[in-house]
Amino acid sequence: MASFLPQFQSIKTSFDHVVLAVEDVTDLWPVVKKGFEERLPFKRAFLNNKTRNPVLVDELPAEFILTTDARLRSRFPQEQSLFWFREPYATIVLVTCEDLDEFKNILKPRLKLIVQNDEREWFIVFVSKAPAHNDQATKMAKKVYARLEVDFNSKKRERCCKLDLHGPDANFWEDLEAKIMECIRNTLDRRIQFYEEEIRKLSEQRFMPVWNFCNFFILKESLAFMFEIAHLHEDALREYDELELCYLETVNVAGKQRDFGGVDRGDDQAMLLDPGRKALTQIVQDDSFREFEFRQYLFACQAKLLFKLSRPFEAASRGYSFIISFSKALALQESILPFCMREVWVITACLALSNATASLYKDGLAAPDVEKEFYRVQGELYNLCRTKFMRLGYLIGYGSDIERSPVNSASLSMLPWPKPAVWPTLPSDASTEVLAKEKMVLQESPRPKHFGIQRKPLPLEPSVLLREANRRRASLSAGNVFELFDGRPNSNDSSGLVSPLPKGNAISMTRNLSTPGGFEGSIDRPMRLAEIYVAAEHALRNTISDENLWKSLSSIQEFEQKYLDLSKGAANSYHRSWWKRHGVVLDGEIAAVYHKHENYDIAANLYEKVCALYAGEGWENLLAEVLPNLAECQKILNDQAGYLSSCVKLLSLDRGLFLTKERQAFQSEVVRLAHSEMEHPVPLDVSSLITFSGNQGPPVELCDGDPGTLSVTLWSGFPDDITLESLSLTLTATNNADEGAKAITSSEAIILRPGRNNITLSLPPQKPGSYVLGVLTGKIGQLRFRSHSFSKGGPADTDDFMSYEKPTRPILQVAKPRSLVDLAAAVSSALLMNESQWVGIIIRPINYSLKGAVLYIDTGPGLRIEETYGIEIEKHDVRSQNRANLDNLPGNPSPLSEVKQLTLEDGKIKLPDWTSNITSVLWIPLQAVSDGLPKGTPAGTAPQRQSVVDGLRTIALKLDFGVCHNQTFEKTIAVHFTDPFHVSMRVVDKCNDGTLLLQVILQSQVKASLEIQDALLDLQDGFAHAGKGDGRPASSFFPLIVSPQSRAGIMFSICLSETPAKDDERESCPDSILNIKYTISGSRNLGAHVPVAEELTGPDNHQAGHLTFRSALVLQRPVLDPCVAVGFLPLPSSGLRVGQLVTMKWRVERLKDPEENVASENLDEVLYDVNVNSENWMIAGRKRGYVSLPTKPGSRIVISILCLPLVAGYVRPPQLGLPDINGANISCNPPGPHLVCVLPPALSSSYCIPA
Amino acid sequence: MIVCLAVVGHQNNPLYIQSFTEADDALKLHHMVHCSVDVIDERVDNPKKSGPTINETFLGLLCPTENYKVYGYLTNTKVKFILVTTDLDVRDADMRTFFRRFHAAYVDAVSNPFHVPGKKITSKTFAERVATIVKSFGLTTTG
Repeated sequence: MASFLPQFQSIKTSFDHVVLAVEDVTDLWPVVKKGFEERLPFKRAFLNNKTRNPVLVDELPAEFILTTDARLRSRFPQEQSLFWFREPYATIVLVTCEDLDEFKNILKPRLKLIVQNDEREWFIVFVSKAPAHNDQATKMAKKVYARLEVDFNSKKRERCCKLDLHGPDANFWEDLEAKIMECIRNTLDRRIQFYEEEIRKLSEQRFMPVWNFCNFFILKESLAFMFEIAHLHEDALREYDELELCYLETVNVAGKQRDFGGVDRGDDQAMLLDPGRKALTQIVQDDSFREFEFRQYLFACQAKLLFKLSRPFEAASRGYSFIISFSKALALQESILPFCMREVWVITACLALSNATASLYKDGLAAPDVEKEFYRVQGELYNLCRTKFMRLGYLIGYGSDIERSPVNSASLSMLPWPKPAVWPTLPSDASTEVLAKEKMVLQESPRPKHFGIQRKPLPLEPSVLLREANRRRASLSAGNVFELFDGRPNSNDSSGLVSPLPKGNAISMTRNLSTPGGFEGSIDRPMRLAEIYVAAEHALRNTISDENLWKSLSSIQEFEQKYLDLSKGAANSYHRSWWKRHGVVLDGEIAAVYHKHENYDIAANLYEKVCALYAGEGWENLLAEVLPNLAECQKILNDQAGYLSSCVKLLSLDRGLFLTKERQAFQSEVVRLAHSEMEHPVPLDVSSLITFSGNQGPPVELCDGDPGTLSVTLWSGFPDDITLESLSLTLTATNNADEGAKAITSSEAIILRPGRNNITLSLPPQKPGSYVLGVLTGKIGQLRFRSHSFSKGGPADTDDFMSYEKPTRPILQVAKPRSLVDLAAAVSSALLMNESQWVGIIIRPINYSLKGAVLYIDTGPGLRIEETYGIEIEKHDVRSQNRANLDNLPGNPSPLSEVKQLTLEDGKIKLPDWTSNITSVLWIPLQAVSDGLPKGTPAGTAPQRQSVVDGLRTIALKLDFGVCHNQTFEKTIAVHFTDPFHVSMRVVDKCNDGTLLLQVILQSQVKASLEIQDALLDLQDGFAHAGKGDGRPASSFFPLIVSPQSRAGIMFSICLSETPAKDDERESCPDSILNIKYTISGSRNLGAHVPVAEELTGPDNHQAGHLTFRSALVLQRPVLDPCVAVGFLPLPSSGLRVGQLVTMKWRVERLKDPEENVASENLDEVLYDVNVNSENWMIAGRKRGYVSLPTKPGSRIVISILCLPLVAGYVRPPQLGLPDINGANISCNPPGPHLVCVLPPALSSSYCIPA
Repeated sequence: MIVCLAVVGHQNNPLYIQSFTEADDALKLHHMVHCSVDVIDERVDNPKKSGPTINETFLGLLCPTENYKVYGYLTNTKVKFILVTTDLDVRDADMRTFFRRFHAAYVDAVSNPFHVPGKKITSKTFAERVATIVKSFGLTTTG
């Protein structure tokens, strides 16, 4: 059957639509042809597919062919069945008849003859030529047509339709189309059934020796082709798939050694999209198909159908798998194929497939995920093509132009070398080319990397090419001798090691070897690298038939251009797919090419993408490969900001990735830029490089307002010391987010050593709260840097150098304001007035050091510091204050507290350091000054205690303390001073001899034991001492000890004397003065004590130890003695009322003559003075004046004053005083009232009285 | 031969990557592993495609290239294991077994209280154990 193949192929190429036969019985075709052909191609046809399911075919092309046409005649029956698909799918019989008889006799038998062939699908079109207006003719035609229908229609099927040439034809064409479709459908069904049956029969014999794939193929493809012309592409595709499966199943049956194919010129160009490239006859050999051509043919047919189905994405993905699997098949046959046939084929296949699918694919054609998948496949195709292309380039010596990147290394070093049966040999006339290549090989030197980074280049070759090529040469036995011939077996590998001298040797040596005539020997000796390149180039030239591809390999420039195109194609496709990483990585390869060609701008952009990808996911090893390139581009582009950040990133990469020398180079670049005048200084983020943390342990605790120091650990990732011009660190309050972070700054330069550094920063006073570390900023040279990275007590983890983790542990806690110290007086009881006394001030620090504290002392009025004496300080003994404690611990002797002397300078005292944390007492010698003499009071009367205020003195204290004397504590302390005694007296008894016994009662007012040594009473005029008259008490029992708070009495005997005092002093002193000499023994901790001066002089000087207390006593002469009596006359009985005038009357009566000592010219006049509270009383009349009072005893006068009470209540009435007369000489009889009752004003009744 | 074995964290960061080749070309293996993450991402993001295997940890062949194969495995915590092998015909069942053993080793390694989750695995014990697993894999497939 193979002989039918050419015919089959020619039919296939010339035939592409359904044929409909027209049996023109009565020469009507020319008349109706136009109308019929206008219906073509058929729209919206419903056909049945192989599984008998209706399929909508949008457009079905067809052709009407007369049965008399040559194309439908003269076919052999066998041909007919084999190529049945090209037989007519329907037979349309065109008839017309105007006469019933004619129909019966002539037409009907003829028609019966035509339609008797049951195999054909037929129907009759009756054409009525009757004009519309001719009823006769129309009637006739109808009759004939009716007859026709009766004769040819069956119950199952109508086979007639009628076309009125001159009448309305509304339904005819639909009817016609429906009938044609029915015929086509039926024919198709029958033919499918036929083919299937045949195919089934054949495939049953598939594994039998008689089986012939060629027959199977023709049947199968005929069926597929029939589907294709019926536009049932889906079914056609399925047939091809089955065909391919069947082929692959049977092609490699063992024992059948077949020719693989692919050795013809031009086979290197893939024909996987071109089914017609090779005639089927060329594919077939001995009844079997050559795999190389036939598999491509099958795929081409499939692809064609897929394109027709608008599924280029499916074509692409099927194509990719096809290429991969076909490439494997090629690999198996590599020894019989031309050199590098496999690589070339893959390149052309990938390019053809990707171009074809891309041109047919329109965006939005498919669902988004299908689109992504499509672009992924496109990317894969480009990438595969790129790999193979690089391999070819490497083989002909362009290896040095291929970037030794991880991508290229991954694709090339895992890809085995081509395995030809024999490695191509060097053509004899290639000496000049070898020389040129050699020169090229020798000249190539790896581009030095920026920063002097040296790395072992990644391999691009699975094994050393030199060895591989020589091993595959037929004439050479294995050996390593060849390696001696070329110093550079692995072009880039050892470049760093080869010094210029061996290089020169190599050149001379190769020159020697390549002298003319030397090439003949190349069969026997191992080939050198340059020779391998040249040989490969020649072999490739034979293999590659595609001019464009060859051109791309012809020169380095062309090679690079193609390489760039392929890389770009792959990258762009990947970018539109899911595989972003693939795309970005290839961008890096594109960047490398631009970089090499000094197109730094584009290169930098692309490199940045790559770096961002690697950095974002923490692939540091890969990043370390690309980042130096980016840095170099940025440096050349003068992108200082970018360059700096790249350098910083390089420094922050894992330490193991770079040598110390290289890291130092990075740092020196940073420092160089930082100190240069940058045009646009940029803040630098060194979070990955300098990290910081507070010290371990609890946070620093500060009191409010205190400055402090903060110790911070910095980790420097720089390989060398680096100087930071300034450094500041922000503190963020944890409790108060609104408030901006405050920076603490160290202005002096700090040199950071690599690794851990401890930095101490001074901390200005902060608000209360707890603080965490915020941001580290500072300057390196002119450059500001920031670091957000908080390290947890170790160097920054390189893993997460992009994540800024906020520290949560507080580093500093500033306490809320509280009292830090307390000052208090050490005693609560009174001290001695007018004596120098120790005043104790308790200084109690409250959990706060008073180191360096200074106390300012400012005494208030009436108090002065005895500066001549030192100031003492001692530890405060709590037990002395707390008796209860002391009682509980009787056996524990109170430790002698050490007393230190201090001096007062300018009113301030510097407290010693040892007191900084303990409660101490500061003893200050003070003397309260009181001018007046204390007055004794008559006993029995309510003891008019001295006003407390009188003895109160204040000391204003100010304590400056804290770390920087920033804390101040001010307090005013009140200290109570008092006289030792309160003196009262009474006349105890009045003897007959006129001697009065005067008892003086001394009430101790201090918490100290007083010892009275002596008492002396200086009497006022009019009194004299009875007895000895030395002024001493009547009985002497001194010393008299007065315990605290107790009383003592001293008795004096005195008498009235008429004689005036002799001394002048006496005259001036109207009061009696009590002088008491006493000593005091008391503790200064409790209250009054021995005055400072006494204490200092010591107890031996007994006399000097006596203190003197003076108190004035007023003694009144007896009642008869007064020379004037003042009597208050009774008030009116009606009482006093506010607003009611009242007359106050005093009667003044002279009792006896005025005494001589009352020297006055106007003895008959008396000065009076009404003492009144003006708020309560209004006085009418003279308040003060003279009234005449005769000197004769018994003379009297009444002084009347008109008064008006102003306030209701008990008020003090006006008092009459006689200022000129001594109080002792005035007797009040009757005495005036202390208070009078003043009634409220009388109600005004004028409105209340009824008229 | 298994040439490379990697653990990639759920943020696609390398946690452990070990090559088993003698040549000094670990970087290209890094690249392969890194790019394979694309494939895993694609599968995880398009559960439709992976179909019934959605709940399976073993992802199967990721990159069928001509010369090496990359297999993937995804744990419940979205940690990826990626294996690069030059064996071109490996049975999936063997691969599954291998990954299961490797997973066990990984779980032990990260259960170490001193291991910080999400950080590189630096345990020597882990490395040794992995080396053993890799070695034994070679034996079972070739022998």
